[in-house]
Amino acid sequence: MAKLSDSIENLFARFGPHVEQVPAGGWAPIGEADKLVKTHCCFCGQQCGIQLKVKDNRVVGFEPWEEFPFNQGKLCPKGVKRYMQNAHPDRLLSPLERVDGAGFRDLAWEPALARIAAEMKRIQGANGNDAFAVLTGASLTNEKAYLMGKFARVALRTANIDYNGRLCMVSAGAASKKVFGIDRAANPWSDIPKAEVLLIAGANIAECAPITTDYVWRARENGARIIVLDPRMTPIARTVDLFIPVKPGGDIGVFNGMLHVMIKRGWIDRAFIAAHTTGWEAVEKAVEKYTPEYGAKIAGVPASLIVKAAELWGPAKTSFLLHARGIEHHSKGVDNCLAALNLVVGSGRIGREGCGYAMITGQGNGQGAREQGQKCDQLPGARDIENPEHRRYIADVWKVPEESIPHKGLSAIPLVEAIHAGRIKGLLLLCFNPLVSLPDQNFVREALEKLEFFAVIDFFLSETAQHADIVLPGSLMEEDEGTTTNVEGRVIHHKKAVDPPAGTREEWKIICDLAARLGQGDKFAYASTKEIFDELRVASKGGISDYYGITWERIDEQMGIFWPCPSLDHPGTPRLYEGAKFGHADGKAHPQPVEWRPAAEEADAEYPIILTTGRTVAHYLSGTQTRRIGALVGQTPEPWCEMHPRLAGKLGVADGDFVRVESRRGWLTVPARVLTTIRPDTVFVPYHWPFDRAANRATIRAIDPVSNIPEFKICAVRVTKAPRPDDALAHLPPQAGGLS
Amino acid sequence: MANAIQKGVVRATLWGLAFAALVVAGVLVGSRGLKDFDTALVPYAGATVFASFGLAYRYAMWLQRPPTRLYWFRGWQIFLKPSRLPANIVLLVRQLFSSVGAQSFIARRGAARWAAHWFISWGSLLAAAITFPLSFGWIRFETLRTSQEQYQAFVFGLPVFRFPLGSVLAVLAFNALDISAIMVLIGLGFAMWRRARDRGALAVQQLSGDLMPLFLLFAISVTGLLLTVSTHVARGFHYNFLSQFHAVTVIFTLLYLPFGKFFHIFQRPAQLSIEFYRRASAAGPQATCLRCAKPFAGRLHIDDLKQVEAALAIKFAAPPATTGIQGTHYQDVCPPCRRKLLAITQDGLWRGHGRPRPEGP
Amino acid sequence: MSELAFFIDSSRCIGCRACVQACEECDTHRGVSMIHLERIDEHDSVQTAPQVCMHCKDPVCARVCPADAIKQTPEGVTQSALKPRCIGCSNCVLACPFGVPNYYGKIDQMMKCDYCYDRTSAGKKPMCATVCPSQALAFTTLEEIGRTRQGTAINRWVFGAEVVETKVFVVVPRGTREVRPDLVQLGGSRHDPFDVAAMLEGA
Repeated sequence: MAKLSDSIENLFARFGPHVEQVPAGGWAPIGEADKLVKTHCCFCGQQCGIQLKVKDNRVVGFEPWEEFPFNQGKLCPKGVKRYMQNAHPDRLLSPLERVDGAGFRDLAWEPALARIAAEMKRIQGANGNDAFAVLTGASLTNEKAYLMGKFARVALRTANIDYNGRLCMVSAGAASKKVFGIDRAANPWSDIPKAEVLLIAGANIAECAPITTDYVWRARENGARIIVLDPRMTPIARTVDLFIPVKPGGDIGVFNGMLHVMIKRGWIDRAFIAAHTTGWEAVEKAVEKYTPEYGAKIAGVPASLIVKAAELWGPAKTSFLLHARGIEHHSKGVDNCLAALNLVVGSGRIGREGCGYAMITGQGNGQGAREQGQKCDQLPGARDIENPEHRRYIADVWKVPEESIPHKGLSAIPLVEAIHAGRIKGLLLLCFNPLVSLPDQNFVREALEKLEFFAVIDFFLSETAQHADIVLPGSLMEEDEGTTTNVEGRVIHHKKAVDPPAGTREEWKIICDLAARLGQGDKFAYASTKEIFDELRVASKGGISDYYGITWERIDEQMGIFWPCPSLDHPGTPRLYEGAKFGHADGKAHPQPVEWRPAAEEADAEYPIILTTGRTVAHYLSGTQTRRIGALVGQTPEPWCEMHPRLAGKLGVADGDFVRVESRRGWLTVPARVLTTIRPDTVFVPYHWPFDRAANRATIRAIDPVSNIPEFKICAVRVTKAPRPDDALAHLPPQAGGLS
Repeated sequence: MANAIQKGVVRATLWGLAFAALVVAGVLVGSRGLKDFDTALVPYAGATVFASFGLAYRYAMWLQRPPTRLYWFRGWQIFLKPSRLPANIVLLVRQLFSSVGAQSFIARRGAARWAAHWFISWGSLLAAAITFPLSFGWIRFETLRTSQEQYQAFVFGLPVFRFPLGSVLAVLAFNALDISAIMVLIGLGFAMWRRARDRGALAVQQLSGDLMPLFLLFAISVTGLLLTVSTHVARGFHYNFLSQFHAVTVIFTLLYLPFGKFFHIFQRPAQLSIEFYRRASAAGPQATCLRCAKPFAGRLHIDDLKQVEAALAIKFAAPPATTGIQGTHYQDVCPPCRRKLLAITQDGLWRGHGRPRPEGP
Repeated sequence: MSELAFFIDSSRCIGCRACVQACEECDTHRGVSMIHLERIDEHDSVQTAPQVCMHCKDPVCARVCPADAIKQTPEGVTQSALKPRCIGCSNCVLACPFGVPNYYGKIDQMMKCDYCYDRTSAGKKPMCATVCPSQALAFTTLEEIGRTRQGTAINRWVFGAEVVETKVFVVVPRGTREVRPDLVQLGGSRHDPFDVAAMLEGA
C-alpha cells in the first residue's frame, strides 16, 4: 500500500525539498515591521528567545531578544535563519491523497478526514485497537504532546503511541529517574559558570547546543577546568584542560575508572553518601576492578588520561556534568549515563549552586514532550501508565473509566518492527521523519510499505510523508500558540506570529476533529490551545513534572518558569534537589552499579571500522525544515565521512574522494573528509540526509533494554573508495539526497 | 610636511587658474569675441568659470594623493602602450557603452538605484550639453532672414544646419531642456523612493552629501519646467521671478559641483583605467603569499602598492632587527592568511600564557 | 558605565557561522555577508576565527584608496566604499592589515563590515556580536570585559614597523600591550595542529 507512489525525482520536483534563498518580502531592507513577536527558536532543545519580525502576515526577519535570560540574544545559524521557513514554496497547502504511479492529488479536508477516521475504524474493528498506532514528535508543543497522548488513549484507544524523543532523551531520562527520581536537568544553566570543573561527555556543544558554549567559556574565565569525552576533537575540546578521545562505547571505562581512582584517593563525600544515598556499596564493588588500566582498555585511551580526569574531577569543590547523545545513543545508553551520574553522586556535588548535572536535550521540546503522556509508558505529568493510582487520576481528568485507558504499548523501534511483522496495520504520524531519523532505513522503509493505511500530518512532504496514503497539511511553530519546556526544565511560551496559510490547519484542530469522528468529540472540545494547557496543568498536578502553578501569563512575566511548580504562588524550581532532597519516595539518591558490556555490533574482520553518527550545526534532526532553508543548505549542503589520515591511507582514500560506507544492513556514498582530529578506528557521518546519503542506512536497529534508545553511535562498517555517483538521485540537489 | 601641503595647494591653485583661463578663452573664441554671447547668460558663464577653477583645483589636489597619482599615470602608461593601444581602444569603446551608456554595473546593485542614476545622469548630461555651449555663445539658433518658418543653427558662429519650425527636430531642440528636466525628475523619483524605503540608505545617507544634490537637481528641474509653463501656458506668469530663481539654483549647483557629490562625475572615469590595470596585472607575473605560498594578486599590483605605502609612510616592511628575517614585508601576506595570522597570534598568546592545550599523557 | 565597544576573542570561536548568517540580515547590506570566518586548517585543527572590520583610527584602506572613496563617520566607523567613488581597484583589499575588505566583481565595488552602522547608529548592537553563541564576538563595555574575562582588551597592533590602533578591541592575556600578527610575535606562522592518533600513542 504505502510504497512510493511516484519516482523520487518526480516527488522532488513537486514537493521539494527546494531551498528558499530569499526571505519573504525579499532581501530589500525590511523597514518598520508590523510587529515584533517575542517567541522562541524551534530548532533545538535550548529554545532560544527570538523576536520574529512580521509584515503583512509573513515572517520577514528577526531581531535578537536580549532580555530573555537563557540566551540573551544569542542564536546559532539555525536560529538566525529559522524565520525563512515561513512562506516557503514547498509548503503543503491542501490535504493530499496518494495516487499509485502518479504521486499525490489534492483532496478536500472533509473527505481526507473522513477517510482517515474510516480507516482507523476499519483496521481497529478487524484487528483490534492496538493495530492502529500513533507516532509523534518531540518538537511538538506541550499542548500538542498532551493532546496526542490523550487522543491515542481516549479517542483511538490504542496502546501503541510513541514518539521520536525515543531517539533522543530516553537514556538520560531513564538514568536520571533511576538515580534521582526525576527526569530533568538537575540545574539551570546559570550554575554552569559557577562550577570549578566541567565534565562534558558525549556532547558536541559547539554544533548541537551552540548557545551553551558561552556558559562553558564563562566557567573557564572563572578558572574552571574542563574535561571533554568525544571520539572526535570538537571545537570546544581544542582549548580544554583534558580531551579524552574515547572509543565509541568506551565511556564506562572512563567513568568507572575515574570513580575507582576517586575511591582510592579518598575523593568520595562519605557523609553525603551515608546521609542521602542507598546502594553505594554495590557501586564501589562494581568499580573495584576498573583500575585506570582496565578502564583504559575499554575506553581505548591511555590510562593516564583517566587518572588525570579523576584528579581534575575528584577534589573539586563544585562541579557540573553535561552529557548528551554521545553517551546515550547506545544499547547500553542508560548504563553509560548511570556510570556518569555515579561521579556526581560520589562527589556529593549536587543540589547546590555550581554543583549538579544536566543532560543536553536535543529536540525542540525534548524535555516537555516526554512529560505530557505521548510516550508508550507514560501518562501526563510524567506519570507511570502501569501505576493504578496514576491511571485513576488521569482517568478522572479525562472523564473516562480507568480501565478504558490502554496499558503500556510499544516504543518506537519495536513499534516499527510490529508494523514490519504485520501486527500493526495502520499508522498516524506527525512531527516525525523516520525515513531519515530511524536506524536501519531499509527495514523501516519495508515496514512502511507494509502498512494498510498510513496518514501523516506535516507542513512539508517529508521523505516519510512521501509514503503516506493521506497527508494533512499542518502548521509551523510560529503559526500556533503553546508552550515548550527547554533544556533546563524552563517552561516557555511560543507565541503565534502569523496565521497558518489558507488550506492548512493547526494540528490540534485536526486531532480534535478526528477525535470527534471517532465519537469522542465531547472530550476534545477545546476552543484554544490555552484550554488544552489548562487541562494539562490539572493532569500534571501532583505528578513529577507538576505544571499546575504555571500559566501563560506567569511565563510571560517571569520569562519562563521551571517545573515542578505545584501552585500559582510557587516560584518554580530552577535547581532540583536542594538540601539533597531527591525525587524518590525515600528522598534519597539511588546510585546504580554499572558493568561495561560491548555494543550490539562491534567492529570485526568483515566490517572492521566503527561508524558513529551525529549532527552538524546547520541542520536540525531529519532536516525536513533546515534542508529547505538556502542559507543552511549553503553552509552544509551534504553529509560526509570523516576519517583519520592513517585510516584513509590504509583505504587508499584521499580527501574529497567519494567513499561507500557499508554495513550489514545498507550502504551510503558520501565524500570523504580526511583529518587528524578523529580516532583512527572510527569514521563519522552526520545523519540529516535521506536515501543514498543517509547515515541511518548503515546504523543498527539495536536498542537499550531499559530506554529502548537505538544504538546510533556504534555499528560496524567497511569503507571503500567509490566513484562519484552518477545515477538520477545523485543529480538531484544535495538537500534532496543528491550531491552538490 | 606643512610646507609640502602648501606647495600642493599652490600647484593645484595654478592648475585651477589655468583651466579657468582656458574656459574663458574658449568663451571668447567660441563666441567670436563675444559677438554671439548672450549677455543675459553672464551669471551662468561666470559661475561656470568659477566651477572650472574649482574642478581643476580639486582634481589636481586629488591627483596629488600618492595612490591616485600612481594609478593615474600607470593607467595611461598601460593604456598607451603602443602594442596594446588598438585593442585597448576597442575595449575602451565597449566599456564606454556598458559603464557610461547603459551603466550596467549600477544595475547589478539594484534596479531602483540604476533607474535613479541612469535618468538623473543622462538627464543632467543632456541639459549640460545644451546649456554650456548656449551660455558660452558656442551655439545659437536664428530664424532665416528669408523665411520665418526656417531655423538656422550656428556652432562657433558657423551655420551648421537648418530645420523647419514645425518639425520634430524643432520640437525636440526647443524642448530638450524640458525633456532633460523630466528625465531628471523621474530619476529623482526613483532615488527618493529608494532612499525613503531602504533602511541601509537611511542609516548611512547624509543631508549634505547625499540629499543636497538631489534637492539641487530638483530645484533646477522644477523651476526650469515652470519657466516653460509660464511661457506657454500661463502667459508669462511670474516669469521674471522664476527665471531669476532658476538662475540661482543653477549657479549654486555649478558652485557646488567641484566640492560635493557631483565631483564623482570627474573622478569616476578612473574606473575605466582600472580595468586596463587589472588586465595588465593579471597577465603579468603573480605575487605569492609568504605564508601559504599561493598566488593572490598580480606582482605589478603588489609592487605598486608597496610604493604607495612607502609614499604614505605605511611601514609594513618589517625591520630586520625585530624579525630576524631579512626583508619580510607584510604586504606579501595574502588577506586570508592575514586573518588566520591574527587568530593564530591571539590564540598563541593565550597558550603562551598557560591556557591548556589537550595533549598526550 | 563607559560606552559600548566591540571585542574579539577568536580563541572562543567554535566556527558555527552564526555571525556569517546574521551579518547578511543587516539593513545596510541585507543579503550580503561581510564578516569573514576562517577555518585555520581543514585537516589538522578545528580552530576557526571570525574577522570583522577593526575600524582603524587612521584606516590603511582609506589611505591607499586612489578614489578617496573610504570615509570614516564621526564615531570612527570606517564605512564601505562610497558607491559613487569606488572604482573597484582592490587596493584596500590587499592593503588592509586585517584582511577585511571584500571586492565584489559583479557590482565592481568594495564592501566591508561597517559596524552594523544601521544598528549601532540607532543604539542597537551589531548583529554578529549579538548572536555569537561563543561570544568570541562581543559588544559590551570595557568594564564588563574586565569583570567577566581573564584577559584584557587592547587595540594596538604592529605589522612590520607599522603601528595600528583600532576602534575594535581584541581580548588577550593580561600584560599584553600590543599584538604583532605578522610573522614576529610567535616566531612563526604555524597554527597548533592536533593529531588524535599521535595523542593516543603518547602513552
